Amino acid sequence: MNLKKKVKTKRVVISIVCLVLGFMIAYSYRVTQGTKSKQQFTDSQWERNLSLRNELNEQKEKNRELQKELNNKHEMVREYESQLADEAQVYFNLAEDAEKYRMFLGKVKVKGEGVKVTLSDGEYDPNDPNINNYLVHEHHVFKVITELYISGASAIAINGQRLTHNSYILCDGPVITVDGYQYPAPFEITAIGEPEVLSSALNITGGIKDQLVNDQIIFSLQEQNEIIIDPIVGRK
Amino acid sequence: MWLPLMGLVIGVIIGLLTDIRIPPEYSNYLSIAILAALDTLFGGIRAQLQNIYDEKVFVSGFFFNILLAASLAFLGVHLGVDLYLAAVFAFGVRLFQNIAVIRRILLTKWTSNGEK
Repeated sequence: MNLKKKVKTKRVVISIVCLVLGFMIAYSYRVTQGTKSKQQFTDSQWERNLSLRNELNEQKEKNRELQKELNNKHEMVREYESQLADEAQVYFNLAEDAEKYRMFLGKVKVKGEGVKVTLSDGEYDPNDPNINNYLVHEHHVFKVITELYISGASAIAINGQRLTHNSYILCDGPVITVDGYQYPAPFEITAIGEPEVLSSALNITGGIKDQLVNDQIIFSLQEQNEIIIDPIVGRK
Repeated sequence: MWLPLMGLVIGVIIGLLTDIRIPPEYSNYLSIAILAALDTLFGGIRAQLQNIYDEKVFVSGFFFNILLAASLAFLGVHLGVDLYLAAVFAFGVRLFQNIAVIRRILLTKWTSNGEK
């Protein structure tokens, strides 16, 4: 009886152990199945991952192409800019030329070193009945001006009146008319240019100075560091 | 003899019907625990055949080994060392040894029966 009971308890204990074992095996099996299905889900996820990566690569490719295009555009813009800069240079040169020509034409005030020639009527000589022998005539002025222009003067004024390409000088008795303005003696001829060249051109032996002095005209020459010639204000 | 078998079947059914979800990282511990349980079970069968079976040793060994294996795996995961490999190795070796012993005993019994 005791032995039988012992066997029975043994059976029960073994049954419990088997129950636990069966439960564990079954449960583990289920968990593993779940993990497997999850694995499949991960597969689809992986596929999605792959497609996303492909898309990303495509986008990168596109980005690179766009970047290349952008670089090309930048290059074009730079070309345009340099072209513009060249044009600006051209315009600048043109403006400079215009300024220079304006100076030559007497439209603006000019300034520079040069010489000042003063021609005065000679002393009154009672022995000489002809007063024209010691007056300053237009041809005297012309000679000086021509000589100055030949020597490279860039701007000349008579008594402050700027001469231009179409100026005229008239002898009107004791006065000289320059472009309609009358000026009495003495005549101050200012010229802008190389002072040494101009003065030596005038002082040359047998040159203008000697001729004028022969004509009883008082001739004085001054080299000046700064001569300012005003623009032509108008014309009569 | 049918009682343990019935227990096994009921256990399997309960296991299949249970709807408790455990995180997948804990399934490792469960596998180790199953290995430990199988080892203990075959150890018990061998002891029975060698007539040195002790119920207390068997039952305590069954549950203790399960817990030990699971906690060893747990510790291994948290230490960054694959300690569960030690449990797999130890239990695996013992499992094969136990099964070999059981097979020999059964063979001996069978041959002696045949000679009779």
